[in-house]
Formats: sequence, structure tokens, C-alpha cells
Amino acid sequence: MKFIVSSSALLKQLQSINGVIASNPVVPILENFLFEINDGTLTITASDLETSMITEMHVEAKENGRIAAPARILLDTLKNLPDQPVTFTIDEETYTIELSSANGRYKLSGENATDFPRVPVVKSNNSIEVPSNLLARAINKTIFAVSTDELRPAMTGIFVQLNDNNITFVATDGHRLLRYRRFDVPTGNSASIIIPRKAFTLLKATLPSEPTTVRVEFNTSNAFFSFENIRMVCRLIDERYPDYENVIPAQNPNRLVIDRYDLLSSIKRISIYSNKTTHQVRLRIAGSELHVSAEDLDFSNEANERLSCQYDGEDMEIGFNARFLIEMLNNIDSDEISLELSTPNRAGLLMPTSNDESENILMLVMPVMLNNYV
Amino acid sequence: MNPPIRKIIHIDMDAFFASVEQRDNPELRGKPVAVGGSRARGVVAAASYEARKYGVFSAMASKIAQQKCPNLIFVKPRFEVYSAVSRQIREIFYSYTDLVEPLSLDEAYLDVTENKIGMPSASIIAKEIKARILAETNLTASAGVSFNKFLAKIASDLNKPNGFTLITPDKAVDLVSSLAIEKFHGIGKVTAAKMQRLGISTGADLRKRSEAELVRNFGKVGHYYYRIARAEDERLVQPHRLRKSVGSERTFEEDLTAEADMLERLQFLAQEVAHDLNRLQTTAKTVTLKLKYFDFVQQTRSKTLVTHLNAADAIFTVARDLLRTPQLPQYPVRLLGISVSNLLYAHDLAVNYQLTLDF
Repeated sequence: MKFIVSSSALLKQLQSINGVIASNPVVPILENFLFEINDGTLTITASDLETSMITEMHVEAKENGRIAAPARILLDTLKNLPDQPVTFTIDEETYTIELSSANGRYKLSGENATDFPRVPVVKSNNSIEVPSNLLARAINKTIFAVSTDELRPAMTGIFVQLNDNNITFVATDGHRLLRYRRFDVPTGNSASIIIPRKAFTLLKATLPSEPTTVRVEFNTSNAFFSFENIRMVCRLIDERYPDYENVIPAQNPNRLVIDRYDLLSSIKRISIYSNKTTHQVRLRIAGSELHVSAEDLDFSNEANERLSCQYDGEDMEIGFNARFLIEMLNNIDSDEISLELSTPNRAGLLMPTSNDESENILMLVMPVMLNNYV
Repeated sequence: MNPPIRKIIHIDMDAFFASVEQRDNPELRGKPVAVGGSRARGVVAAASYEARKYGVFSAMASKIAQQKCPNLIFVKPRFEVYSAVSRQIREIFYSYTDLVEPLSLDEAYLDVTENKIGMPSASIIAKEIKARILAETNLTASAGVSFNKFLAKIASDLNKPNGFTLITPDKAVDLVSSLAIEKFHGIGKVTAAKMQRLGISTGADLRKRSEAELVRNFGKVGHYYYRIARAEDERLVQPHRLRKSVGSERTFEEDLTAEADMLERLQFLAQEVAHDLNRLQTTAKTVTLKLKYFDFVQQTRSKTLVTHLNAADAIFTVARDLLRTPQLPQYPVRLLGISVSNLLYAHDLAVNYQLTLDF
């Protein structure tokens, strides 16, 4: 089999799906791209068994055929070639691949395409269409709180819940919980699935910057995403997601409203002085003043700042992990935020004070218990 | 100019865990109590004075303790209570000085050369601290006062429980001379045995040896032995010092070649390390295996786990895996060591922790 393709066009396609390939895959064949030619269309697949990405492009080819080509060498070769048509000549008996360019010839050994794992095909009755920018935003707003604790697999993915009038994305690591809800996507059904973090990370990286429509289909074991010439298939996390609505406090009576940037930059400075294990910062709120402080007894470091705020509630003192607050504040767009608290040992709710009508963002964070013996 | 004579206090709670249990449960008072697991593989973490009379000591296997003292009552440890008491006590310390060096939950050095109440007598401060500990926690402590850490620690041990001992500079050298070598802090069982072989059984014997000889026999630590034999110890009281790692190692009389022999030694080392972890109320995340071959070439292999561990079994399992990966030692081994690091202290856990959502 033989085909001719532009080196830069091929490189672009390979790079868009290359992220799937694990650095040390379970089976060595997964270090390869699967190349399949069918009537002048080259279909390229990369997989780590859990997630697979497929892209298609047009090439000049007279015959059909398949080969598994080593990803690393191929990418490095194409990256270092000036843009030009390259010819791939594949010997399907010996699995030898020869690239010829204007610069010279490169021979690499591929593997038998039939050894490449079969990618599940769409057999689904659930499907929706989602604008790509909405999907990217939902992933961005939640993915940083996804747990890495393999002992609780349900939490290592993003929970996607389709309801009659909204679509909800939830992520939690047990210390904080993020809920991002959209009201502007007609879902037409109700269902819920857990998408592994890696799949969403890859999807986020691959979604084009210009808006397009992503078709999402799923059944009980897999989800399929397709847009433009790219498809992604991922195995769902087959676990029960924690009952997250239950941990969101219905009413936190103490409400602080403050400029997001002021609070963020204050916490960034104060956290430099916090304990290196707990990253604890202390918020003391009285009247219309917020006192942010931290200390690290091990090094006799301490820092204090006062910020003005609007506060409606009882005076209180509460500790939080500064890194959590920084990440969360960084992920809010509005100029002003509200922090709703109840007691120093219960969840706080962080939210933008103004939401776009089409969306709702809720961030929940558990406190760090204050050590009051200093 | 000579620096002023320092005033160091060493405070050591008496049979701490066991006393807390006896305090909180009247039925245990006056009875032999061991804090720790009573299960077949458990270890005594602390023994009440009544139990010590039967020869029950901390770190003893629960099974042996039970044999020595059939009436022994085993109580499950309640570390959150111990660390709360420990905080209470530290608060008392901090009202006199900020130079407090906690060695564990129940022991600390204080430098009161300059103190917050402007009291020139360290003895009066030490007695006041003891009285306040008793008043505020209903527990007794022993105090040692002297002009360096080494002597203060020896002093607190001389008159236990509820003791108070002052070692003044003019008595220090005589006292150290009369002390059996096993009583020196910093000289463990193995070193003591080696000293006995060298004919050193008291402080006076130790003082007769030259510094060069001690360094030749014991390495760098020989300098320290030379000085403590003269009642000299320049180590400062270091506030907020917590140990970053815990370890144990042994050099063998004969180099080991068989895996079974090495595993047997590792099992023992793992128990020692587990015991120290228990004593410090901490758990570890990283286990390091140290190997020294017959030709003195040294190698370490380590592994960091997802969870914290403190049990001898678990430490042994990791050490065994390290011994076998990438492969068993190919040359005779003269030294094996296990150390653990990445420590998480119960103390930190009890006062300063990230709350978790209750799913």
C-alpha cells in the first residue's frame, strides 16, 4: 500500500490525537497510530484502551490497507521535515514503512494492524448536541477539582447529569465540590454518566478555538464525542457518583461579598506565610472588615491583611486551604464574589454574585480546622 | 567572653498514655495498665507504674507483657486525647519561654535562661510548671534542671515519677562519672554493649578514653561521647523541631548472603521502626531500604506509598519488596537499614486538618 500526503497536514492530525497515547502503555501496540486507508480517506486511531481518538483526512492513495505505525518516531520525523508531500510505502507482509521526502528516505518498522485493539462503535440511543465553547467552559470550570484518589474511582471523573431543562457538570475531590449548570442546552432526556478526567482533558485540548457543534452520544459503557473530523470514544466510569446535592448546604446564613481580585491577590500573598502542609489561611470577619492571616509555627512566619467587604452575618473565624481558594477564585469571571458560611467546621459556598442567565456556578469548599492554641 | 551559663529544663510526663487512661477511668487506677493492642501481634505503647513492677515496658510484645503480668489490663490508645493534653502542657511551657523543643507528645526541653516572667531560678520555674501541669491536667510530670540538654534529660530520669532533680555545674562531672553507661541518653543497647566489650561501663570509664579512640571506635558520634563524659553538651534547644525521618540499621558480625537471613533481620528492623513511629505518634509515607555491601559500597532503595503506614508488618512488606526489586543483593551484605520519612504527626492531625465532605 502506498499513499501521498502533506507532511504538515498529517502532523497536525497526528498531534490532535497524540495525547491519548500513554507513555508506558499496557500493551506495546498502543505506542502506535493505527493507519487505515479506505477509498482515499486515511483514518488514524490512537488509543490507551480506556480512551480512543480517531481523525480522518484525505490522501492520495490507489489502494486500501492498514498498518500500525510507531507514534514517537513518526511524529519526530514529521516535525523536523519542511512542509512537502511525503510518500508512505508500506509492505503489509513485513510491516515495514518507508517515508520518502525531498530530503531523503526513512525506514521504520510498524506492526500488524490486526493487533490494534478494536475501538467500540456507536450503538446508542442517547445523543445531544452541545456547542464546543460551552463544553470547553464546563470542563474548565470543574476539572481542577477532580480527585486523583484511585481508591474512590467515581470521583476521578466529571459527573455529567442531563435533566429536562439543564445539563450539570460536577467534580469533587472530597474537599471541594464544583457544580456547573447550563440551562441553554435542550437535552430532551434525563441521564447521568461519569466521564474520566483524562478523556475530558484530551477533549478540552482538542476542541477547536472557533465554535463548532459537538455531538455527544452515550450508552451504559461508553461515551462518544464527535466534531469536525475528530471522534473520541471513552469508557465511562462504572460507579455510583456520590450524592453531591446532599452535601450542598441549603442555607448558609453568613454572607460575605467582596471584590474577587482583591481577595485573590490578598490570599496569594498571605499563603506565602502559611504552613506548608495545610496551606491554611484564616479568615476573620467582623462588621465590614475581613482579616486574612496565616502563620507557620515551624518557621515563625506570619502575615496579616485587612480588606473591606460587605458582610451580613455573625462575626466568625474560619480556616481554608489557600490553594483551594486561589484555584476557585481564579475560575470565576465576575468582579465580585460571595462567600456564604455557616460555622467554622461546615462547608463554605463560593459563587459569583452575578451569573449569566444561561449558567449557574457553585463552588463548595470544606474548611481546615483552626488550631486555636497559638 | 564566655556565654552565660544556660538554664535548661527537661519535662517528661510520667507514664503518659497510661496515666491519662487512669485519670479518665477510675477503675484503672492502682492497676497494671498497658496502652496498646492486646491482639497476638500487638505491642505495648505505654505501661502504668503498676505494670512496670511486673517487668512490663513499652515496646514489649503484648503477648509477652500478658505473660509477665496476667492481670494486665489492655486499653486502646486514644491519641486525640493524648495530643489534646500535650497541647495543654505546651501552652504552660510557652507561658515561660518560646524556646520549647518538644521531643514527642510527652517530653520537651525548655531553655529558660531568659524567660517571660523574669525569674532567675530555673528550679522555681520547673516546680511551678510541675504544679501547673498537675492542677490543669491532673497528671504528674518529672522535671530535670541543669545547664545543658544532656544533663537536664538525665536529671528528669533520676527521680521518677513526680520527680525533680537539679544538677548544678559543680556536681555534674561526678554525677556523670558515676552513671552506668546504659543510662546515657544517646547510647543505645547496641552501643552500650560495644562499650562494655571495650571495658567502658560507667561515665568514669568513658572519661578515661581519648577523643581519638572514641572516634576510631564509634565514628563521628565519638566526639559527642567524649564531650558528654565531661558533662559538656552545646546543643541548643530548638523550638518546633520535629523529626523528619525514623530509621534503624544494623551492621552484622558476618555478611549476609541468604535471602531468608536478610528477611529475618528486616523483620526485626521493621519492628524497631514501627515502635519509634508509635512512640512519636506519627505515620510515614516513604520507606527506604539501605544496603551496605561487603566492600562498603552503599545503596538505598525507596518507595513512596499512597497511604501512610506505621505497622511493622506493612513496613516489612515494603522493605521486602525493595530488597527484591530490581533484584536481590548480588553480593554479601554487611549492613541493612530501614528508614521511613514523609511523616504525618498525630499532633498535626488532631489540631490542624482539612475537613472532608461527608458523602
